[in-house]
Amino acid sequence: MEVSEKRINWVGFRTLTLREIYRFLSVYRQTVIPGLITSALYIIIFGLTLQKRISSIDGVSYTIYILPGLIMMNVITNAYNNTSSSILQMKLLQQMQDLLITPMSSMEISLSFIIGGAVRGVINGLLVLLLGILIIDMPVVHPIQTLLFLILVSWGFSGAGLILGIFAESWDNVATMVNFFITPLIFLGGVFYSINMLPGFWRNLSMINPIYYVINGLRYSILDIGGSTVYLSFTVAFLMTILFTIIGIVLFQKGTRIKQ
Amino acid sequence: MIPAIDVRNLKKSYLPINRRAGGKTVALKGIDLTIKSGEFYGLLGPNGAGKTTTIGIITGLVRLDEGSVSVMGKDIISDYRFTRSKIGVSPQELTVDWFFSIERLLYFQAGYYGIRKEEVSDRIEQLLKKFGLYKKRNSKIRELSGGMKRRFQVLKALVHDPEILILDEPTAGIDVELRHMLWDYLRQLHKEGKTILLTTHYIDEAELLCERVGIINEGTIVAEGKPSELIQSLGKGSIEVYLSDCDPEKEALISGFTYVHEPYDGGSRLVFSVDEPEKSLSEIINALSSNGCHIHEVKITKSSLEDVFVSLTGRTIND
Repeated sequence: MEVSEKRINWVGFRTLTLREIYRFLSVYRQTVIPGLITSALYIIIFGLTLQKRISSIDGVSYTIYILPGLIMMNVITNAYNNTSSSILQMKLLQQMQDLLITPMSSMEISLSFIIGGAVRGVINGLLVLLLGILIIDMPVVHPIQTLLFLILVSWGFSGAGLILGIFAESWDNVATMVNFFITPLIFLGGVFYSINMLPGFWRNLSMINPIYYVINGLRYSILDIGGSTVYLSFTVAFLMTILFTIIGIVLFQKGTRIKQ
Repeated sequence: MIPAIDVRNLKKSYLPINRRAGGKTVALKGIDLTIKSGEFYGLLGPNGAGKTTTIGIITGLVRLDEGSVSVMGKDIISDYRFTRSKIGVSPQELTVDWFFSIERLLYFQAGYYGIRKEEVSDRIEQLLKKFGLYKKRNSKIRELSGGMKRRFQVLKALVHDPEILILDEPTAGIDVELRHMLWDYLRQLHKEGKTILLTTHYIDEAELLCERVGIINEGTIVAEGKPSELIQSLGKGSIEVYLSDCDPEKEALISGFTYVHEPYDGGSRLVFSVDEPEKSLSEIINALSSNGCHIHEVKITKSSLEDVFVSLTGRTIND
């Protein structure tokens, strides 16, 4: 059956998704290894050295406490970077035009990009998780839930990357978003501390940071702590993912900054 | 028979990059274009005439403001999967890919068109060999020479075996040898029954290859037809005669022809303006000889598509 007679161009969808995955794997030194190295450094410097001076938080050692945060930091930055840079690169190198003239729908194209980024986020997250298990004996209390949550968040931030990639016109735009918004939000989302340690005003401010909920949700899934807010965390992550995905697809469909 | 491409009253304007500056740029003012199935059609026009916009709309890259376009009888918007799968495009600007070998890029390309790897591997091998790129199949685009990149661009457009091939300035900036190779290949594709739409600003290219050309200027098609017909209806040829031993002022020298004359190297130079130089040549020479003129040299200047273009648009194509 010809592609024109099908409701969904599955072969095209699969091809573009695989292309996106092969793309980051072909440069794994830039896309997979760095997150692992930085996380190992964080574990050594923050965890193993400072741990002696910091009492346990919520009943676990400091190193173990920060690990879910480190995993989330990797998932978010990798998922987000993959999609935004892939889209921008395609725009700058005229490849986007080659894609737009194929019999693929905007939905198929945008979902392929999102999945490509999500896979990179999940791989990076799982590698840091593995590092935690191997180096510091981190327990994983709810493994299935951990995996599903990683996939959900990775998908969501890959969707955010799609939105930025669509709007971005230069590498400077992408870097600005990462440096001024994403990185501060991650660091203030409680990667290295419990927000309960913060004074009242700062604690309340942290509550409007969506990344706080995302880190919290993973901390619960892995370590079974902070269970009181787990439903809220999952709801925030879920809504954020749906929202970013829909906005990304709609913008792509409208051809914002892509079609003339 | 259903036309391969049918464009009706196509209009398109672009917003300025700086929106505050206001004022839209009108790219297409209402284009009608019908390209028959199996036809080799050339769209000729200077830069900014609307060629790339027209192609962009047909292929789905640019949104139309008004009008309609159908490909093999189906609308490019409501039936985009059908129309896009019938078209192969070789864009004007060369694309670059940093990550994959050219062979892999061809498999991706086929995949986007819904064709699985196992269905297309023979075809890809054949095409790579035909375009002299088989040995380079594991190279990345940036490792290819300029000519190879251009060949790859055309090859890629053919991977899904489209019925219509659209080439936007395929020979811009390439050497003569490669130009001829591409021309031969395009002729062959045309013989095989493919419909080809070519945009170019090389007039000789259009004259040589295309069965029909449309001349586009400032967003409108100002003339359309077979190159020979356009030349015949709009262009004029000339015959130049260098002679001595007779007086070109003499009225009876040659009747029925208009000509200008000037003294030249002890004799005269006569320039006759005629519609069909070949037909008038013998008559002119006979008349001059019978009047005792001694003819030194005769030059025939046939009108070209270039003259047609200049007379229609008031400018040369490279302006």
